[in-house]
Amino acid sequence: MRRALGTLTIAFSFAATLLLFAAVLFFVGVIVYRGWSGLAPGLIFGDTRPLDALLLRRQVFDGLFPAMAGTLALMALTMTLAVPAGLATGIYLAEYARGRGKALLSLLFDILAGLPSIVVGLAGLALTIILHRIFPGRIGPCLLISALALAFLVLPYLVRSVQLALESVPRTLRLTAPALGADKLTTIRAVLLPACLPEIAGGIILAVGRAIEDTAVIMLTGAVASAGVPRSLLAQYEALPFYIYYISGQYADPEELQRGFAAALLLLAMCVVMLLAAQLLSTGNPLRRRP
Amino acid sequence: MTTTMNGKIRTEKLSFSYGERLLLGDISVEFADQAITAITGPSGTGKSTLLTVFNRLWEEIGGGALRGRVLLRLEGRWQDIHAAEMPVSMLRRRVGMVFQTPNPLPMSISANLAFPLKLAGIEDKQEIAARSREALLRVHLLTEVEDRLGSDARLLSGGQQQRLCLARALMLHPEVLLLDEPTSSLDPKACTGIEELLLELKESCAIVLVSHYQDQISRIADQVYLLGERTLLRQR
Ligand SMILES: Nc1ncnc2c1ncn2[C@@H]1O[C@H](COP(=O)(O)OP(=O)(O)O)[C@@H](O)[C@H]1O
Ligand SMILES: [Mg+2]
Repeated sequence: MRRALGTLTIAFSFAATLLLFAAVLFFVGVIVYRGWSGLAPGLIFGDTRPLDALLLRRQVFDGLFPAMAGTLALMALTMTLAVPAGLATGIYLAEYARGRGKALLSLLFDILAGLPSIVVGLAGLALTIILHRIFPGRIGPCLLISALALAFLVLPYLVRSVQLALESVPRTLRLTAPALGADKLTTIRAVLLPACLPEIAGGIILAVGRAIEDTAVIMLTGAVASAGVPRSLLAQYEALPFYIYYISGQYADPEELQRGFAAALLLLAMCVVMLLAAQLLSTGNPLRRRP
Repeated sequence: MTTTMNGKIRTEKLSFSYGERLLLGDISVEFADQAITAITGPSGTGKSTLLTVFNRLWEEIGGGALRGRVLLRLEGRWQDIHAAEMPVSMLRRRVGMVFQTPNPLPMSISANLAFPLKLAGIEDKQEIAARSREALLRVHLLTEVEDRLGSDARLLSGGQQQRLCLARALMLHPEVLLLDEPTSSLDPKACTGIEELLLELKESCAIVLVSHYQDQISRIADQVYLLGERTLLRQR
């Protein structure tokens, strides 16, 4: 009886894994298949000469270039805001906070990490409305507010990954610099942070991966279907995930839908590259066997 | 206990506990200068903890409590290591420590050696280079690493790493050297190398060596103490 149960458990686990694997394969297959044929020369720059578009000499109206530029600008801004704050908070939690305060803060960041992104988007919208009242006509939904909201979204991941990396530095290494007469700040700067640089870099890349695909936050805080390349922090902008969302609901002909799939393929490729980079940085080899 | 000419480390009614657990109880001993004092005993009795008392490193670990006095004879004068005139950073520059597992800092070989000097405010490049060479020479590592001082110290072999750590501890010419089972992660050959080195080094400082290799102790130790049941027993 017990043996039968064991066999059944194994068979069920195996079947579930297989099913999941097949589903993922099917999903990726569909995107690659549908997106691949959309990868035409004009996909990114449309009819505009690429050099003109890259130098911002001419607007691109029928390509993905503005959406890609918007996504890149958004990521750069988000990370500029989130990384310093995440580093500082992670260092504080790992090296200075103690006892109940530490437990409370850790719990808070765990809760924040579980916050649905639509809620963060709503908070961003509320902030926009408040700012709009204070500066009428000058501040509306824009790149800066999206970046702020996204930074808030990924902050818990950054904080926790920095904290965990610091806390897992072996005791002997942790005591090395103090034994030579170094104070705490020097120890953190010269030993602890360099020692866990790979894990921290991995955490940052995972945070970018989380932010880059988020649609709920940006559609409430400044992403639009057509805005061109963003010219200022207070401008509205285009973004790849929003483009995908928009086109799949509003497409006028099959060709347009195909462009949506091509955009999805681009986004997927960016995420995969970043995930691999994160794995590479933190483990040395993404295909390494897991224990 | 009277102060002898060749004493270097002295404890007076030293007690140490972690929480409820008393590890060291009312210990009063004196360790000699220019000698290797070996401390042996079963694991978990507090040998490593005793070493961290001498450079106050236990304060970084947390959870411990110390009573009694600890004195070092630094620059010819007995000084209480907990006195206000003795900042902890100063104490740790005079008292070098080598751990059980090699602990190179995540930086190049030369940066590892320069690190303690920079902490002490020595920035002169030529002086740093000269003293690094001298320290590497003393631990017999110079010829092996001379041509790759800029490469990551963590790429060295275990024995090389441990000798580098010893060299780093020697950079500021410490008067006391604390060694916590420094050869236990090394192969026999590297082990012999370190032992010979310690015999050379004791000419210029007091060495406290935690070890549970009886043969090692009989080869190189001048004084031997057994730590057990919260007290140090002189064996030799
Ligand atoms: N930070 C600490 N907090 C509480 N107990 C500790 C701490 N560090 C060491 N101990 C305990 O103190 C005892 C002595 O440890 P240690 O000095 O490392 O022994 P030894 O080096 O002789 O093996 C051990 O039982 C250990 O569990
Ligand atoms: Mg020990």
